[in-house]
Amino acid sequence: MHTDSAAAVTPTARPFWNPYLAGFALGLLLLATYLLFGWGLGGSSGPLRLAYLAVATVAPDWAAGNGYIAPYLGPGLSILEDWMFFEVVGVFLGGVLGAYSGGRLLRNHVDKGPGISVGTRLFMAVAGGMLMGFAARLARGCTSGQALTGGTVLSVGSWIFMMAVFAGAYATAPLIRKAWR
Amino acid sequence: MLPLYGNDVFSYATAMAMAAFIGVGFGFILERSGFGRASILVSQFYGTDNRVLKVMFTAIATATAGLGLLSGVGVVDIAGITIPDTFWLPQLVGGLMLGVGFAVSGYCPGTALVAAGSGNRDGWFSILGTMAGGLVFAVAWPWLEGFYTQGAMGPLTLPQLLGLPWAVVATGVVAMAVGAFLLAEKGEAFFSRRAGMAPPASSAPRRNLVFGLLGATSALGIASLALPQVEPVAPTARVPVAQDAVALAEALVVDPHGLWIVDLRPTTACEAARVPGALCLPAEDPAAAFIADLSATRRLVLYGEGDLAGLPAAAERWPGEVAVLRGGWAAFQASVLTAPVPPAEATPEAVERYRHLAALHGQLTGSKAPPPPVVAKPTAVARAVKKGGGC
Repeated sequence: MHTDSAAAVTPTARPFWNPYLAGFALGLLLLATYLLFGWGLGGSSGPLRLAYLAVATVAPDWAAGNGYIAPYLGPGLSILEDWMFFEVVGVFLGGVLGAYSGGRLLRNHVDKGPGISVGTRLFMAVAGGMLMGFAARLARGCTSGQALTGGTVLSVGSWIFMMAVFAGAYATAPLIRKAWR
Repeated sequence: MLPLYGNDVFSYATAMAMAAFIGVGFGFILERSGFGRASILVSQFYGTDNRVLKVMFTAIATATAGLGLLSGVGVVDIAGITIPDTFWLPQLVGGLMLGVGFAVSGYCPGTALVAAGSGNRDGWFSILGTMAGGLVFAVAWPWLEGFYTQGAMGPLTLPQLLGLPWAVVATGVVAMAVGAFLLAEKGEAFFSRRAGMAPPASSAPRRNLVFGLLGATSALGIASLALPQVEPVAPTARVPVAQDAVALAEALVVDPHGLWIVDLRPTTACEAARVPGALCLPAEDPAAAFIADLSATRRLVLYGEGDLAGLPAAAERWPGEVAVLRGGWAAFQASVLTAPVPPAEATPEAVERYRHLAALHGQLTGSKAPPPPVVAKPTAVARAVKKGGGC
C-alpha cells in the first residue's frame, strides 16, 4: 500500500495544517514550556528509559553495574519522577488525538514506498531506530531534545547536531531511493 | 520573573500533569503537521516536500525570537533557562548517525511516537529499534565513555560565541529561516516537477502572515535592547549574596546544574574534600582566572576555608549572579556534611528541621543520620523534577 498523501489512505481525512502555521503553533508551545519550566521538549528519552527499566527488571545486577544505566536507577530517579517521561507519553497520546480528530487513525497500516515489501520496511524501521537510539544517547538528545529545543536556546552543540542530522539524512536518502520512491 | 518552575509556584504532581499536557500538545501539532507519516517526512530528503524544514525552523525562529523579546522587556530571565551543554564531537557524530537512521527508519524518535499513535505499525517498530539502540549504547558504554565527553564546551550559546545580544542572533535565525523557506519552496517546485508530482500546496497569505509575525517579534526584540536593563550589566563593585550552608545544600539537591561552585582553598585541600560538585583551583591558576570562562547561565558560588575576605578579580567581573558561602568550608562541613544531631526536645518544628537536615545530609553524603526521636508529623521532602536524558 503506497501512500503519497493523507488522501490516499483515507479519503475523508482532513488536510494537514499549513507548515508555517503548524511551526508557529509549535514555537508558541515550546516558548510556553520554557516560560513555565525553563526547559523544553523531548522525544527519545521516554522509550530509552523504558528500555533501561526493562533491563533493570530482567537483569538487575547487570544494570546496576553498567556505568550508563546505573545513574538512572538511583533513589528518587524513578521513571515516574521523570518530567520528560510524562511529556513523551503525552506525545503518543497527542498523536492518537490528532489522527483520530483528523480522520486519519489507521489500523495496522505500514507506511512505505511501492518498491519494497512490508517485511523490508519493518526491518528498516527497526534498523534506523537502532541507529537513532544509539545516536540520541551519544548526542545527549534527538531531533526534539537537541535540534528543536537546544536550537531554540541557541546552544552551539545543538546547532552542530541539527546540521549534522540534515547532512546525514540527505547523504543517505539517494542510496535508499528504492525504499521510498 | 519567568520561568515559573524555579519559584515554587506549582507542586511536583502538577508539574508532571503539565508535562503530559504539554506532550499531548506537542504530539497533536506534529500529527497535524503530517509527521505521523514516514512518506511525508522523507520527502524532505528527496526535495519534493520541505515540511520538516518549514515546521521545525518556524518553531525554532518563533520560540527563540520570543525569548529574545521577553528577556529584553524583563519578563524572562535567560539565566533561569536550561542550556544544553555542548560536546561538539559526539554531537556531530551522533547527529550524522541520527540523520542516517532518520532516512532509513522514516521517523525521528519523537515522530515515531506520533506515527505509532496514528496506527502506523512501522512507527512501533521504529520505537522498538530506538529502545534497542539505547541498550546497545549502554552495552558499549565502557568503550564510549571517553568519546562521550570529547569537545566539551559547557552550556555555550551562539550569542556568547558571537558576542552579540540574544535578540540580534534571534533576528539572524529568523532571517536565515525565511531565506531557507523561500529557497525550499523553489526547490520543491523543481524536484516535484522532475519527479512528475504536483508540488505541495502552499498558501502565500498564511506564509506571509507567519513571516510578518516573526519579523515583528524580532524587530521588537531588537528595540527592547534600548530599554534600561533590569540588572546593571556594568561591572560595579559587587556585593555578593551571602548564602547559608543549608541553603546551598538545598540548591545542590534541587538543581545541581544551576550552580557553579568554586573552591578557593589551596588545590590540595580542595582535592582532599570539598562541597559536592565544586571546582578546585587549578594549580597553575591560583587567582581563579578560569571563572571568566564559566557560562553566566548558572549561579556562581564561591567559598574559602571560612568567610571570604574578598572576591577574585574574575568573579568581580563575572556577568552572572555571584554568591559566597557564609562561613565557608568549615560551615558546610559542620552543618551539612556532619550528620545532624537528633533534637533533645521533640517539638514538631525541631523534628521537621532535623528531618530536613538529615535528608540533605543523606542526599549529599550517601549516609544515613539516626532517626528522629519522636514522629511528630510526616514531613514532605522537597524533590526536584527529573529532566531525564536531555531529549
